[in-house]
Amino acid sequence: MQKAKVDPALDAALTLQDIRAELSRCIQCGQCTFVCPSGRYGGIRVREVMERALGSDLDLSTDQDIWKCTMCHSCSERCQSGADPVAVFTILRMLASLKGNRPQHLIEEAKLLWTTGMSFPRTGMTKKMRKELGLPEVEISAETLSELQRIIDRTQMGRACLE
Amino acid sequence: MSDRYYLFSGCLIPARLPYIERAAKFVLDRLQIDYADLPAATCCIEPIGLRSLGPDTWLAVTARMLSMAERDGRGVISLCSGCHLSLKEADHALQDRGKRSATNGVLATMGRNLSGSVETRHFLEIVRAQGQKRIEELTKAPQGRLRLALHPGCHMIRPSTVLGIDERFSPRALVELARWIGAEVVSNPDWPACCGGGLSGTDDALSMAILNENLDRFKEAGANCILTPCPFCFVQYDLKQKGEGIPVLHLAELMALAFGAHPDEIGLRYHRMKLHI
Repeated sequence: MQKAKVDPALDAALTLQDIRAELSRCIQCGQCTFVCPSGRYGGIRVREVMERALGSDLDLSTDQDIWKCTMCHSCSERCQSGADPVAVFTILRMLASLKGNRPQHLIEEAKLLWTTGMSFPRTGMTKKMRKELGLPEVEISAETLSELQRIIDRTQMGRACLE
Repeated sequence: MSDRYYLFSGCLIPARLPYIERAAKFVLDRLQIDYADLPAATCCIEPIGLRSLGPDTWLAVTARMLSMAERDGRGVISLCSGCHLSLKEADHALQDRGKRSATNGVLATMGRNLSGSVETRHFLEIVRAQGQKRIEELTKAPQGRLRLALHPGCHMIRPSTVLGIDERFSPRALVELARWIGAEVVSNPDWPACCGGGLSGTDDALSMAILNENLDRFKEAGANCILTPCPFCFVQYDLKQKGEGIPVLHLAELMALAFGAHPDEIGLRYHRMKLHI
């Protein structure tokens, strides 16, 4: 794969400053933890991660908690103070993946996206079912794929995992 | 609402669950919606995992697809709650001039541009907008034998300020649709629960614990079928249940059955949890 050329304008739109604004709104009330389905079974502890992120007490090159969020948005929806844990985790994950900390299956998914334009593989069963159901085959043209790859090349995903 | 749409089926449905695409097209045809498959579509940069590898990648990829709908004067209908969230949140985020201009900078390298806002709709919204009278008229096979457990799923509801489809507490859309086609609702969550699908592959034990909490509630309510408008939730329920299990229908499949589709025509035989009807 080609070396990514990150578009500086896009890159600048997403920095730690975005997180700081959200984090400083957090009043540590714990409502987020109360509604979190992952935390209930020993997964991510939302309030704690918010606290540690604000105190820069989070090692993004190793932290596994940030990958245990289901992205259900319950915490952000319930938050009384306008902090947005989902937005925070999205950026923390991006920064972590730039340090090489990301689940292997996500890298596989990104590679599949790069090579096929889709995030789920098309198999013999796909072809069989679509034919039996009278649906056309899924086709992604070379031109479409090339446009997608150009976008990935110029944005964070290219830098985060496809170098 | 627009009178012309592109249908965006995403990745999971066309690749693994094409029977949901078949059912949705059956329903859209019966509703006489003017639609065509979204041309040159790709993955939406799904919001659970991929988006966090590149939030700017997500904005540019979704903007590229929205720009095609804008160019052709059509709205977009999504069959997948993940795709819908991706497109709708991107459309919202791109109202910010800085993000729009940066994103258009990338699109310009392929001769594309997104200038305004594109109408993006979840399949559920299209069906519900027909209203009770029309849905009842089109219902050729009332589904009175179904005792439904409703699973709206996270991304039909949240973030509610952006999606605006339904109430954040005790949502109504699926309840109404189920009743309009004659089914009984035995379980509707006050706070729409997560299916655990977002952790599948990252932490399978955690994912299953979350799924099982829902299943216990559905069993207690005496449900004989689960209804969801999201294919990711559908996969959790259809593939991850152990033993007997409760069958699950995507909203498109339930509507197609009610409108008179034969179960074979819409491929219900491909479900792992068989719906005995």
